[in-house]
Amino acid sequence: MRKLTIIGGLIVVVLAVAVYRAKLGAEETQGEIDTLSAEASAIGKDIAVMKAEEAYLTRPERIGPIARQKLGLEQATPGQYTASEALSRRLGEERLTLPAPAAEDASPTSAPLKSPSTAAQSKEVKPQQ
Amino acid sequence: MMSFDRPQEDVWGPRRARIIAGMLAVVFIVIVGRSAYVAFNGPEQAASGAHAAVAATRRADIVDRKGELLATTVPGWSLAANPSAIWDAGEIASELKSVLPKLDLIGLTAQLSDRKRQFVWVQRGLTQEEKDAVFGLGVEGLQFVEEARRVYPRGKLAGHFLGYTNIDGEGLEGSELAFEKRLKAGGEPLMLTLDASVQFVLEEELERAFADFDMKGGAGVVVDTHSGAVRAVASWPAIDPNRRGDFSADVRANRALNSRFELGSIYKPLTVAAAMEAGVLTPQDRFDVSAPVKIGAALVKDPHPLPNAKSVTAGDILAHSSNIGTALIAQRLGVERQKDFLRSVHLLGGQSHEGPQTASPLTPEVWDATAMATVSYGHGISVSPLAFAMTYTAFGNGGNYVSPVFVEPVDGAQVEKSQVMSADTAAKVLGMLREVVTRGSGKNADAQGYEVAGKTGTAEKPGPDGYDPNKNITSFAAVFPASRPQFVVLVVLDEAQPRTGDQRTASYTAASIAGKVIARAAPLLDVRPVLTASKVEAASLRASEATTP
Repeated sequence: MRKLTIIGGLIVVVLAVAVYRAKLGAEETQGEIDTLSAEASAIGKDIAVMKAEEAYLTRPERIGPIARQKLGLEQATPGQYTASEALSRRLGEERLTLPAPAAEDASPTSAPLKSPSTAAQSKEVKPQQ
Repeated sequence: MMSFDRPQEDVWGPRRARIIAGMLAVVFIVIVGRSAYVAFNGPEQAASGAHAAVAATRRADIVDRKGELLATTVPGWSLAANPSAIWDAGEIASELKSVLPKLDLIGLTAQLSDRKRQFVWVQRGLTQEEKDAVFGLGVEGLQFVEEARRVYPRGKLAGHFLGYTNIDGEGLEGSELAFEKRLKAGGEPLMLTLDASVQFVLEEELERAFADFDMKGGAGVVVDTHSGAVRAVASWPAIDPNRRGDFSADVRANRALNSRFELGSIYKPLTVAAAMEAGVLTPQDRFDVSAPVKIGAALVKDPHPLPNAKSVTAGDILAHSSNIGTALIAQRLGVERQKDFLRSVHLLGGQSHEGPQTASPLTPEVWDATAMATVSYGHGISVSPLAFAMTYTAFGNGGNYVSPVFVEPVDGAQVEKSQVMSADTAAKVLGMLREVVTRGSGKNADAQGYEVAGKTGTAEKPGPDGYDPNKNITSFAAVFPASRPQFVVLVVLDEAQPRTGDQRTASYTAASIAGKVIARAAPLLDVRPVLTASKVEAASLRASEATTP
């Protein structure tokens, strides 16, 4: 019985310490949570401000003139739209004005590619029809 | 010798002790178990609940259909004071007035003099500059209180439609009011059907219109004919919700939704459609519009004689905007069928949708033959521009009227449609509207490659002494592209007077603005211009619209 009392007392002491530590740990964790929450909240507010600034700085009335002046961009006109079929035909017409590939280039695609300078030197080839 | 009697042995004593010891042991085990559980697990759920409560307090952002930010909440500052800590209220009030000019000096002095109070607001919603200036005063007894502040980073863009909140973050106008419950709940941004780019184009063209015309106001709408999704809705002059206090009540009025206009001849296609649907008109029927006609008490005249006026078709009547011809068609239609048709497209009221509501229509008190004639060409009936724009969705949607939608995602299955005319009637009237642009009064709206079909409207403004011939509401309602209708555009200008000396009819005012809006907005809405004569290439261009994300 005495042993049992001593063991019970020890368990109580151990548990008291454990509960105290758990409580302390919980408080510390809560403190960390509060700190992180505050940090997250502050970062969230910063993000909100930055998103608002981004939206403000990318207003079309601000970006439009910059795009025109600095990059020379203009709105596409209807004439600039074309169908893929027409594009391939136009591309074909434009190829006529370029130096045609050398005879060996017309052979299977396994042939080695020429560098631009090499292609420019081949002046005597006929235009591709 | 004393003798002690041995007490009588209590056979139940040890048993009771064991029972009590056992019960105590159970309690002990429970306490130990619970302690161990708390020590090793901890109160996790309480923490997550606190987070949820914090997150719910932030008013949701508003974004356009592509996620572009339109309205958000950022930290702001307000200034408060503790009168019990202030010795010279008058001096402090004067100092504050020097950096915050809007303050009421007398009222503030009185508030700060009440030393029984420990908290009074001085000014809410300070700008950063104002906060710095107050901070620089170094006055005791003041404190800055952090408060959420609603801002509209794109300034005037969709200012009327977005609306605004009060200082406490409660919606007072526009979407902020209409979607108050949703926004107040916080969480994910409210995604509107508006397209910020198209909205900008519409607003800029209305702004530019003011350079060309002396005008009192304007409104514009761009709507998807199939879903009813409103891609742009603008009122001119524009307002910046960040500075709403700087604008007069007239400017703050949303002309696209909350103002009513007699829109004139853009009603004529509705009259033609109603008559065709009723079986009293065919595209081949001919009318004599060479002389004014009297219908009821109204003597109906055309401002300009039509070519071949003795024999014109419904197509000619629309192309050259004949009041006489339209009134004659209305006469065939009759009052009741006219009312039924206008009711079906919600021009007599009854439209409901989620989002900011539109002004209810003003209709004739007595709908007799006179009213029938005038309503047929858009006089005597006033509706909001948005309400009218929705009627043209039927021409581009196989005869189906769709209700306006303001919030994404737009679920095609849930779009509210009602068949108000047959697909055949819709196609025939659409063809006539295309002719209005190619050979009639709407030539200035012909955006190259976009096959604009539309109708001009010029209406004299009603005044206290009747209609004023010197003041017009000009409008242009369009559907484009005619070969595969996708969008409705409506432009309404209030008292637009060209500065160049041109006529102030819709042909020279609203039609040209609508054409410019379509030319710029169509690419943003993934509509391809078709200029080629090749059918193969045209088909390829049109097909590419569907594959564009």
